[in-house]
Amino acid sequence: MIKLTAIEKVYRTSTIETLALDNINLEIPKGEFVSIMGPSGCGKSTLLNVMGLLDNPSKGAVEIDGMEISRYSDKKLARLRNQKIGFIFQSFHLINDLSVLDNVEIPLLYRTSTGRSRRELAKEALEKVGLSNRMKHFPSQLSGGQKQRVAIARAIVGKPEIILADEPTGNLDSVMGAEILNILLQLNQEGATIAMVTHDEQMARKTNRLIRLFDGRQVS
Amino acid sequence: MTKHLLKLIWNKKRRHGLVIAEILVSFLVLFGLFSLVLYNGQNYRQPLGFRYQNTWALNLNSGSDTAALIGKVNQIVGKIRSYPEVMAASLTESNTPFSMNTSNRTMEYEGVEIVSDVFFTDFDYPKVLDINILQGRWFQKSDLTSTYRPVVLNQEAALRLFGAENPLGKVLGSGENPNRVVGVIGNFKSRGEYTPLEPAAFELGNPQEHRFSACLIQVKPGVTAEFEARMMKDLGAMAKGWNLELSYLANQRKSKNQIATVPALIFAVICGFLLLNVALGLFGVLNLNINKRRDEIGLRRALGASATGITRQFVAEMWLLTAIGVAIGLIFAVQFPILHIFDLPTSVYTAALFLALASIYALVTVCALYPSSQAAKIQPATALHEE
Repeated sequence: MIKLTAIEKVYRTSTIETLALDNINLEIPKGEFVSIMGPSGCGKSTLLNVMGLLDNPSKGAVEIDGMEISRYSDKKLARLRNQKIGFIFQSFHLINDLSVLDNVEIPLLYRTSTGRSRRELAKEALEKVGLSNRMKHFPSQLSGGQKQRVAIARAIVGKPEIILADEPTGNLDSVMGAEILNILLQLNQEGATIAMVTHDEQMARKTNRLIRLFDGRQVS
Repeated sequence: MTKHLLKLIWNKKRRHGLVIAEILVSFLVLFGLFSLVLYNGQNYRQPLGFRYQNTWALNLNSGSDTAALIGKVNQIVGKIRSYPEVMAASLTESNTPFSMNTSNRTMEYEGVEIVSDVFFTDFDYPKVLDINILQGRWFQKSDLTSTYRPVVLNQEAALRLFGAENPLGKVLGSGENPNRVVGVIGNFKSRGEYTPLEPAAFELGNPQEHRFSACLIQVKPGVTAEFEARMMKDLGAMAKGWNLELSYLANQRKSKNQIATVPALIFAVICGFLLLNVALGLFGVLNLNINKRRDEIGLRRALGASATGITRQFVAEMWLLTAIGVAIGLIFAVQFPILHIFDLPTSVYTAALFLALASIYALVTVCALYPSSQAAKIQPATALHEE
């Protein structure tokens, strides 16, 4: 499903060169739930960004569903992200000026679909995360856990095959965190391939595989 | 997407209030400017209807002289006509074309009343100004003894009085001195090119009975200042104590036109500065807006928006904001033709509306394009990481 070959990511400024990822070789088959762990600044988020086509690697190849994407145009990459990948972020990244339902609909706006079908899919996604009673609310009216559930609904509304979660429980208490993990496990059981960055060892153990990074290198 | 953007705008309406107000004011200013420019332009396209080149206006002010004025005036015009450099000369009143003097009166035909400029002239007026007679004729000797006072109208006066009817032979007014229409000329825009078509009527003054106060002179092309000086010296000798003042119609036309063009130019310059300020304001607001929304831009990119999609979104947002501002502006703007404010033609207001609309959209697009393209360059990974 996701294949990274000899990935290297270097951030350059006029004076400093930082190696964020160094020779990462990784394959995540369809339906696997992997967690990525490591100390802060070790390149976890960078790895997730490369997997999610949000950042180009300095070297190496990224394959999604057998397609090598290095020569893809910006437009094609955007379409691939929209159709294949759902993102969940630590800080939710909800648009405060839009209702919960409108937030969830956003990925569908970049597809050819009618307003009614978008609405139906968004409602369905919200029902799945148990938030059908909060559709008209605005993000500022929700708790942290609820916000993250909205973010999950937004990530799954387009029925992507891959879900990339960057510390999805980082801003939540343990109860909420467990609730979010359960939703992710449920999505994985339904067939989604998930890569999750986390600092929580216990949570990581509940996933199929644990990848550890240190100083941009894969250590296990 | 449009519905989505409208929701986004509506939910941020307070923050967008200032931008909408700026767009509304700019739209109205542009509407005013285009109305003025189009009105002047429309008037300018209508020909004057007479020739002003190589034409002089001589004011015949007798000063304290009161003796035999009519005879002296006739002697003066006779002398003028005797010069080989003069092609034609005509006696008239001080309301010569482009002068600051006007003379008008109400004319009536079967209940239709108009206020028309009135020019008292003699038989040679069309020769001097090269006026084209469209219907009927100019005055002739027999008119001096006719029962009705003859009158020649311009097309505008004829149209307003008689509509589609043939004006020739129609009698204007009643009472002791009714006028009979003997001829119709084309345009006669005595106040300059930028003024609208106004009614004008020409009446015959009997040179033996009427004391004319001015003379229009058509000279040959290339006549020198030496001739002018010689003529004025000769005339001065004939009319001692008179104040004879010569002016060129070409110069008077220029001054008259400036009365219309200078305020329009000043208005245009003020509008230019205002619009520049608005453009800079919009540019700044949009830049700030985009900086504040980097997180949203990153998110949208992650969820499937391409770089050009982001540019399009921000430009579309500005277009929608403009649509709101313009919609409010339209409510005010349409009152002008409906209530006949300033009495400009509806066609001018309509064209000005479309031009203002096109200009405001062009302005907004230009202001939005650069910040929007900058927004598209934001790296999604960086923008999402910043939060």
